[in-house]
Amino acid sequence: MSRLSTLFATALTAALTLSACAAPGESDEAKDSGTGPIKIAVVNAQSGQLSSLGAWEHKGAKLAVDEWNKAGGINGRQIQLDVFDDQGDPTVGTNLARKIDSEGYIAMIGTAESAVTLAMAPILKTAEIPNITSGQSPAMPAFGSPFLFLNGPTSTTYDKSLAEYIVGAKGLKKIALITNNGSYGKGEHDAFTAVLKEKGVTPVADQVVTTDQKDFSAALTDVRGKNPDVIFVGAEEVQSGLIVKQARDLGLDVPFAGAAPQGTPVFADTAGKENVEGTIVSTPYLSNDFSDASKKFAAAYKAAYSEDAEMHGAKAYDGTNIVLTALKSSNVATGAALADAIRATEYEGLLGSFAFDDTGVGIFETQIGLIENGVLVAAS
Amino acid sequence: MQDFLQTLVGGLSLGAIYALVAMGFSLVYRTMGLVNFAHGSVVMIGAYAASTFYLTVKLPFFPAMIVALVVTGLIGLIIERVLRPLENKDFDLMLIGTIGFGIVLEALATIIWGATGRAVPNPVQTGPIELFDVRIRTYDLVVLGITALAMVLLVVFLHRTKRGAAMQAVAMDHEAATAVGIHVGRSNAMAFGIGAGLAALAGSLAGPLLYVAPTMGGSLGIKGFAAAMLGGFGNIPGAIIGGLAIGILDSFSAGTFQGYSDLVTFLIFTAAIMIRPTGIFGERTVNRA
Repeated sequence: MSRLSTLFATALTAALTLSACAAPGESDEAKDSGTGPIKIAVVNAQSGQLSSLGAWEHKGAKLAVDEWNKAGGINGRQIQLDVFDDQGDPTVGTNLARKIDSEGYIAMIGTAESAVTLAMAPILKTAEIPNITSGQSPAMPAFGSPFLFLNGPTSTTYDKSLAEYIVGAKGLKKIALITNNGSYGKGEHDAFTAVLKEKGVTPVADQVVTTDQKDFSAALTDVRGKNPDVIFVGAEEVQSGLIVKQARDLGLDVPFAGAAPQGTPVFADTAGKENVEGTIVSTPYLSNDFSDASKKFAAAYKAAYSEDAEMHGAKAYDGTNIVLTALKSSNVATGAALADAIRATEYEGLLGSFAFDDTGVGIFETQIGLIENGVLVAAS
Repeated sequence: MQDFLQTLVGGLSLGAIYALVAMGFSLVYRTMGLVNFAHGSVVMIGAYAASTFYLTVKLPFFPAMIVALVVTGLIGLIIERVLRPLENKDFDLMLIGTIGFGIVLEALATIIWGATGRAVPNPVQTGPIELFDVRIRTYDLVVLGITALAMVLLVVFLHRTKRGAAMQAVAMDHEAATAVGIHVGRSNAMAFGIGAGLAALAGSLAGPLLYVAPTMGGSLGIKGFAAAMLGGFGNIPGAIIGGLAIGILDSFSAGTFQGYSDLVTFLIFTAAIMIRPTGIFGERTVNRA
């Protein structure tokens, strides 16, 4: 046997021995020692086109943890919140899932991206790490992991409210669709077309774009030819903004409609303030002065970060509070016990009253807002 | 028919941007035989520089573009200066060097401007021109005009001026060129500088059409590179034709294949390159390694 293969054999034996030591179950016990800080991971895009989402989420989660820590933590233990950058990339996300497992994090907040969350879900399920995500693709509850929770409604809920308003209240029947083929966009496309079908409405145009597409003249040309009353967009903030901007450049002046991304400042900034007037938004978090709770949250957010709070921060704040409440009620349980505690947590949040069902969804309604003079106001 | 024309018009302006990117690739390749992989990132820096001077410093759009041109021109000169010791010694290392520069520029952009990008408002406020029910954005005409002008100037420079002729002589035989007293380093520096200037032109024009972000160099770079290949690598009019072809192809495949448009664009591109490996204008391959 040559020296190289001896070396290889030794390395192999060592690796086998090591992996035998770290059998599943054993590593879970080692996960939380019962002393020292409670480790929670925030996984979100901190760079790339979706980084504004990631930044908001991190701020919301951090605000909740800081409040709990200031009040003495849980069982006298402080909460340690660490942020990991998934770059909005599912591949990076799966690596991070393994990393947070091996480094002993007991719960994960994020991501804001359905595609990344879906990529991470199988690993987190095996590792038994409860995860509360801000994604809204119906594919996530359909995945059926007992460790995956949503801190907001799914696209189905968003789009049901939207369709009821557009078709029901406003009587607009000529609806054009532009969605992207990513997890979020596909979820929106399927959910919205399903509710339209229930209402007996067939979209006049149904354009699908790629997630990194930046020029939409082909899709918009088709849409313009169909003369719609309203255009539904199922794409993230920046892409939606670009679609609206290019539509206005082409002289299309009908209103746009959509879910959460269309209510964000990034959407309005990308499209141009005057271009987003009249946009119809389905959202569980209408504004910072909608209720006493949102006023209090917005004030704390402003004090901490000197900027105005928005929906994604509110979602992450709710989600983090739910995890922390469950940790407290379960005496810092981990794994399946923590997941059960989260499922049993009923929580009055900024987005509404959370009561989780078996699929991990806790909120089942949204409101309709309109962008008027640059701000989102409740539709009458 | 209207849809056809409208899609065509949509593809042309983006195609013009690809053409400008392709011209930068081709110019450096023509004079040095080197594929500058940092080119996409220089386009991105150009876009950021122009948008910064336009939005933050509040210069009018066109002066902002000139400033961006100067900024990237300098970056081009720096890249060439750093790579110069490797010239005619280690060609592979030069290639890797350009990739390295690309990564450095992207990281620099993230440090300076942050990870989130920015949208640049359309600098031409006039409404779209309506022609046979086809709407043409006035800004698209500006993009096409500037691209045409850049191509004419570049071709005139390469074929009608002494310096341009010298650059081409270096490309053909750098030893003979040195023997007749042409400064090879200076000629290469000029190629890099002009190439980077073209990148700034492409980047700043792309800003209002697309979105300025640290990663934008990737997609524009790939499409620009494909355009240069399609036209015949190293051929300037070829770069223009290739760019417009990729732009129009992109636009039509987006209209027809929607979510699969990128796949279809590159499949067609691959087929075209297989049928005619030297591109439309079949430029001779420069190989100086």
